[in-house]
Amino acid sequence: MFDYVSFLQNLSNGVLIGGVYALIGVGLTLVFGVMKIINFAHGDFVILGMYCAVLLNSLLGWDPYLSLLVAMPLGFLAGAMLQRLVLSRLMEAPPESSLLVTLGLALVIGNILLLTFGAEPKSVNVSYASNTVALGEVSFSMILLLAGLATMVVIAGLYTVLNHTELGRAIRATADNRLGAELVGINTRWIESVVFGIGMALAVMAGVVLIPLLFATPTFSGAIFTLKAFVVTVLGGLGNMGAAIAGGLLLGVVEVMGASYLTSDYRDAYGLLVFLLVLLLRPEGLFGKTVKRV
Amino acid sequence: MKKHYIIFAGLVLVGVLYPQMFPGYLSVAITLLLYAGWATAWDILGGWAGQVSLGHSSFVGLGAYFVAVGTSHHEIAPWWTILMALAAAAVLAYLWGRLTFKLKGPYFTLSTIAIAEIFRLIAINEGWLTGGATGVFIMTLPEPFGMDLFSRQVNYYLALAFVSITVLVVMLISRSKFGYQLRAVREDENSAMASGINPTSVKLKAFMLSGALTALGGGIYAIFLSFIEPHIIFYLLLSVQIALTAIIGGRGTIWGPCVGALLIVGSGEIFRTTFAEANMLIYGLLIMAVVIFMPRGIVGEPARYLIRRVYAKRAQG
Repeated sequence: MFDYVSFLQNLSNGVLIGGVYALIGVGLTLVFGVMKIINFAHGDFVILGMYCAVLLNSLLGWDPYLSLLVAMPLGFLAGAMLQRLVLSRLMEAPPESSLLVTLGLALVIGNILLLTFGAEPKSVNVSYASNTVALGEVSFSMILLLAGLATMVVIAGLYTVLNHTELGRAIRATADNRLGAELVGINTRWIESVVFGIGMALAVMAGVVLIPLLFATPTFSGAIFTLKAFVVTVLGGLGNMGAAIAGGLLLGVVEVMGASYLTSDYRDAYGLLVFLLVLLLRPEGLFGKTVKRV
Repeated sequence: MKKHYIIFAGLVLVGVLYPQMFPGYLSVAITLLLYAGWATAWDILGGWAGQVSLGHSSFVGLGAYFVAVGTSHHEIAPWWTILMALAAAAVLAYLWGRLTFKLKGPYFTLSTIAIAEIFRLIAINEGWLTGGATGVFIMTLPEPFGMDLFSRQVNYYLALAFVSITVLVVMLISRSKFGYQLRAVREDENSAMASGINPTSVKLKAFMLSGALTALGGGIYAIFLSFIEPHIIFYLLLSVQIALTAIIGGRGTIWGPCVGALLIVGSGEIFRTTFAEANMLIYGLLIMAVVIFMPRGIVGEPARYLIRRVYAKRAQG
């Protein structure tokens, strides 16, 4: 007979993990929407956040959630600087150039982390790591719940900024039509720096939120997160924030369900298969608007 | 074009004499040659046809696994398994291209990563086919004409033959009708179609050629290593290394990928002690510098300058 409790358990785990994927994907899709840049270093920004939490924890004994206060502003500044110093040079270049430069950036970040922290996996132990909250027979991991909560708060905040502030209007205008935005007096270069900063801050935040759950390794895991972020954004349609959230949740659920009902050996493959199918059948994303292509 | 053939003959001569001059540095040279060959093969698709693939480790893995599994599980001689791998790689490239060539630019690149990752997972998980996550050892190899295939010297000449074949193929392509079709498709698919070229079929041919040649190098790589692991040989980083080698050297040029390999493997050796395992740092820094300052690559940029000067002179005189 069909086991509803374990089904609900898997579903809730999938949704919570998917929330974090959504957080990673939203940053990527925001950057793509405004700058039309495919950021290959996004996963390595996540890893950077993880190491930030590890460092603050081992030096000062801070809780990962406390280190968000330092990590996110730092991530924002670093992102804005990167845009100013490196990526802004490539605005006129073909789209591949930005892909290649960010790929190079990913390698540089990963290997610098490898040189500083060494290759062995690192993590942060928190006292509440194994706590669970039970709701009927379904139990939620405390860490995942916190991660899901943090994701919701941040995404709600981002939504408010984008839709109800002057800055948000300027960002949306730049995404819609760069030239038009410049004509009405928006400093698009500045907007791009802000957006890349936000993107990096979101990735860093995802890393910090994930660290009690996962180990941080310098070179291998960056590529995996980048790939997941792409899966999320392409599922939803690149450049569409709400769709990225839906894509993240979908990826989380597909992975957890596939792992528990089919075989866990191919856990990472389920997302990729769905990703390929979406790319091939609906390149504008599951939730993207259908555009007639010329 | 004649110049290129003279350079080619000179380099092959240097390559043939190298083991006599520096017998102690054969392993570095083999690595260099393999990367030069892979990058050149990648460039047929990535440079001449303009389709940036980050999934070429699949073809390296395919070639390597055919040879390794063939010898260690089924006792088939490596020359037969390499031929089989070439055919399999061409078929794989055909199907892969059929499936994904309707995607453009960065989307195509993303799809190649996804497909290559799926192959890596298959290689790790399907133990009955591939030996699983632990990898495959090559214990014994036949000795054709009394040659010991495990010796570094023989490996070296195999790698040299591999590079020579790929570079020669690219040289032939660059002046053939097919080469011009590739460039036309790269520059503008719609205009290429307007002049009667079928872009998909041209790209498919390029992919099949590129994949088969990469698999050839993969087979030689397996003999060179005599132990292959799915984590490494199917991994995204290998694809990235191959692609970046070609791009740093100069996409769509005959010598660019070889120059890229020389630069990267050479500097990797020099900084080996400084960076230890963080050797990919060099790739990262080089690719950023090249894309920002020399978008056509180290060979491509001066070559373009020279060509423009020649045309300018012709126009004046």
